[in-house]
Amino acid sequence: MINVKRVVVAVAVVGVALATAGLAAQAVKITDPTYAAIVVIRDSNEIGFLDIRTNKLIGSVFLGNNANPHMAAYSPDGRYVVTGGTRANKAYIIDVPTMTLAKAIPVGVGPEHLAFSPDGRYYYQGNPSSDSISVIDMVSLTEIKRISGLPEVLNITFLPDGSKAYAGTYGAHSVTVIDARRHEVLKKIQVGEVPAVSKLDPDRYLSEIKGVSNASISNDGRYLYAADGDLGVVGVIDTREDKLIKTIKVGKDPWRAYMSHDGKYAVTVNNGDETLSVIDTRTNRVAATLEGGPDMLGVNFAAGKMFAISTTSSFVYAYDMRTLRPAGRIKIGANIQIETATTDTADEKMYLAASTNHSIYVIDGRTLAVQQIPNVGLNPWGTHIMHSKDNYCH
Amino acid sequence: MTCRSSNTRRNPLACLVVSFGLTFWCVAVAAAQTPTAPGQMPMADHRGGVSGTVRSAGGIAVAGATVTATNAETSAQFTATTDAQGAYAFAALPMGKYNFTIESSGLTAHTRSEIDIAADRTPVIAITMYAAADGQAAASDPQALLAQIKTLEQRLRELEARAASSEASGVNALSTSAASQQQAGLQAPTDRLAALEDRLNELETRAVLSETTTYVKRVDVWVDANGTEYDQPVPGARQEVTYRREAVYRRESIGEKIEEALADAEKRGVQLGIDATSVTQFASRTKGDPDAVSGNAYALASADLFFTAGLAQYTVFFADVVALSGAPPDIEIPGLTLLNGYTARLVNQNELNLREVWLRTELFKQKLALVAGRLDLTNYFDNNAAANDETIQFLGDGLVNNPALGLATNGTGFAAVFDPKIGLNLKFGVQQSNVSATNLSDSIYSLAEAGYLMTIPSLGEGNYRVWYRTTNTGNLNNQAFGLSFDQKVGPVATLFARFGDGDLPVIEEGQTSFSLGQRFYSGGVKFQNGLVLNRWDSWGIGYAQTEVPDTGEKEKMTEGFYNLQLTDRLHLSFHLQHVLRSASGTESLGYLVPGVRLQAAF
Repeated sequence: MINVKRVVVAVAVVGVALATAGLAAQAVKITDPTYAAIVVIRDSNEIGFLDIRTNKLIGSVFLGNNANPHMAAYSPDGRYVVTGGTRANKAYIIDVPTMTLAKAIPVGVGPEHLAFSPDGRYYYQGNPSSDSISVIDMVSLTEIKRISGLPEVLNITFLPDGSKAYAGTYGAHSVTVIDARRHEVLKKIQVGEVPAVSKLDPDRYLSEIKGVSNASISNDGRYLYAADGDLGVVGVIDTREDKLIKTIKVGKDPWRAYMSHDGKYAVTVNNGDETLSVIDTRTNRVAATLEGGPDMLGVNFAAGKMFAISTTSSFVYAYDMRTLRPAGRIKIGANIQIETATTDTADEKMYLAASTNHSIYVIDGRTLAVQQIPNVGLNPWGTHIMHSKDNYCH
Repeated sequence: MTCRSSNTRRNPLACLVVSFGLTFWCVAVAAAQTPTAPGQMPMADHRGGVSGTVRSAGGIAVAGATVTATNAETSAQFTATTDAQGAYAFAALPMGKYNFTIESSGLTAHTRSEIDIAADRTPVIAITMYAAADGQAAASDPQALLAQIKTLEQRLRELEARAASSEASGVNALSTSAASQQQAGLQAPTDRLAALEDRLNELETRAVLSETTTYVKRVDVWVDANGTEYDQPVPGARQEVTYRREAVYRRESIGEKIEEALADAEKRGVQLGIDATSVTQFASRTKGDPDAVSGNAYALASADLFFTAGLAQYTVFFADVVALSGAPPDIEIPGLTLLNGYTARLVNQNELNLREVWLRTELFKQKLALVAGRLDLTNYFDNNAAANDETIQFLGDGLVNNPALGLATNGTGFAAVFDPKIGLNLKFGVQQSNVSATNLSDSIYSLAEAGYLMTIPSLGEGNYRVWYRTTNTGNLNNQAFGLSFDQKVGPVATLFARFGDGDLPVIEEGQTSFSLGQRFYSGGVKFQNGLVLNRWDSWGIGYAQTEVPDTGEKEKMTEGFYNLQLTDRLHLSFHLQHVLRSASGTESLGYLVPGVRLQAAF
């Protein structure tokens, strides 16, 4: 005869166990954010998470129709992922463990690039279409201030001590220094003078401006390297005095400088003449000018090499950083556009977003082998790995 | 829950376990339906949700407000309370239309009607509540407020009509009409204001994206014997490539769409370029026969028209038509090398001459480039970075080219360049060097080159080349070889040098003016990125010595230039050459040749 009492008790115990497991599984989806690479899936309006141990998608968070995220980043503690929805004029805060959308915050127009303060208290969202930076307080998850007067602000770089931030303004030939405690503009540092002969060609200088997209910081935080597209120079700024100490001539139309992981070199991609200028940061002189490809918008460092991403040619150009010589190029595919990549914290593999075929490509820096992760979503625009030294956007 | 079983009445502990377990199970299931805290919305199930914030008119978060969602069909009610940041969330509402009511002490109740909850989507709705006093103030001047609302509604109707007329989908147009009708039924000003806000949000979503952005994508499909197409591999189906249009949910501004269309049109069309150059020189004899010409001025104008078009994957068509006019110094002052490198292009005055026309394609992951057609082989070989371009660098041919190459004129030919981008490249070319040749075996000029890139620490990169040439002009086989390098010495200066040695090709009828030399040396330095007047300027000094031991002729040429970049397309350069020519048994003849070159390129 069945003991009803025992059956009921057993069911109850099993119910407790299953309910607990179910709750736990539902609540926490990412336990270790260092293994979850962010994938900005622009045209699906999602932020995806890719497990870099298995190269499989964990899942994604939908932001809303027509959000079109541009760049995303982990908060320093890995609790949140933030992104700007360029077409929604909103900043989105994602709770990482549960992979849920925690907050959508109205910001300025056309938010693109962003940066966290080193302590993670604030996140600066650049709004290039409204020439402003939205200061988001990560405690209240609200915009507490909007810093204006920054012509087409793109990238923002904080000092390691969090006292100041430097905004690259593509609509001007200067870098703006921001007091990161009071969130106020301190000064603007001119990167280079417009040549006097520009008066002979007013149409060229009045039609479109390619200024400073980014100020890249040296490993010790002492210097910034700010490339100016129109002027073809890199300005070296001393962050202690906020003063331009040197102007280095590079190739034509440099996009920005990328710092090698060992701090020895600052590399600019010069899209005007399809070259790369390798600047020795000890002497602040160009150590080598290397042949590249068209429309280079990203540089990564892995396995002792440098990799320049030529977005429209589908090539990733490789260079030996020891000899400063070319080391071949990797053809990702035919008729596909590649975007930007992040490098894992072991400096071995890169995760490259390929927008037109909806894939992520994993490139082994040592062997140059390429593995495709297809169907991650519509038009992946970029990737981000927590604590990677190559987290950037174009 | 109570324990009614006779067994559990006798065992209170069992009753407690059962009660707890079942209760816990129910709580867990319920927790899956509602969020544990505002803002945490599980996305795994297929219900819909909504979240947002409630703020006062001053932008301050309203905590503790009660948000009630009532299903318009079933009247089922769900409630949430705003947190300290004014945030609320409904994680898993059954799909359908909902009316929302937001209430908070001291604030006028707010309603939102007909909000669509769809599967797996969580729209964000921000709500603004007004103080009860504000409501009373509105009531005291209701006519002004109503008039303002009416004006806004009218303007919005006009905008919606414009947006609806440009939309491809009729569904969107219908929803606009529904929103307007809904608004017409509302009476309270706050409701009408809220509805206006909703319609503006909707319009903003649609206004910029006038049509869905689409693009054509190359996809792999699998086709079986019946012709049925699959997107995934299927047993028995063969893989094929096809093209398909895809829609993406991206908003683009009108400016971006125009820019894309123009770039696309440019890529598909023929691109035209123009290069126009005028060189003026003056020759003053410094040594030799007093009866030799001296004190004359010379000028040569050149106009290059070139066309480029993409024909296929990695395949480009190029054509270059040139016309020259004028009197270069090389006609009155002949020598082993040309004082004006443009003279080599001169066939007949004031006549269009087809200089080059070729097809180029790239193979093997674009490591191998093949060019075929009417070529100028010197364009592919000995591309010295510091001394190779007569349009913006040295003018004298002795510093632009290597006379030992012995190439006379452009002709039908073929070139192959293998460049795997590892700092090593190999080149091979064959060209006919006489336009009057009667067959392809006649006057064949062959050239092979190996190049290597070296980066010397603290100096910079350097390119080193070695080449080998054979010709069969005049039915005589002639060979020559040469070396060339350009080495950066820091970021500002580049050293260059050339050497060539070999037999001189036989000059045949039909060959135009060109530089010749059996033994040749040149060297110099070029400066840019520093020691210049303007950022993009460059200047250089070079020396070239050409010898023809067979005839005892020797020429020594020195040249300095300064190239001023006035604009991206306009260059002005100043040159000073000195040439000293001698032949066995004759007195040396020397000339000082200052010159100016103006070059425009589009």
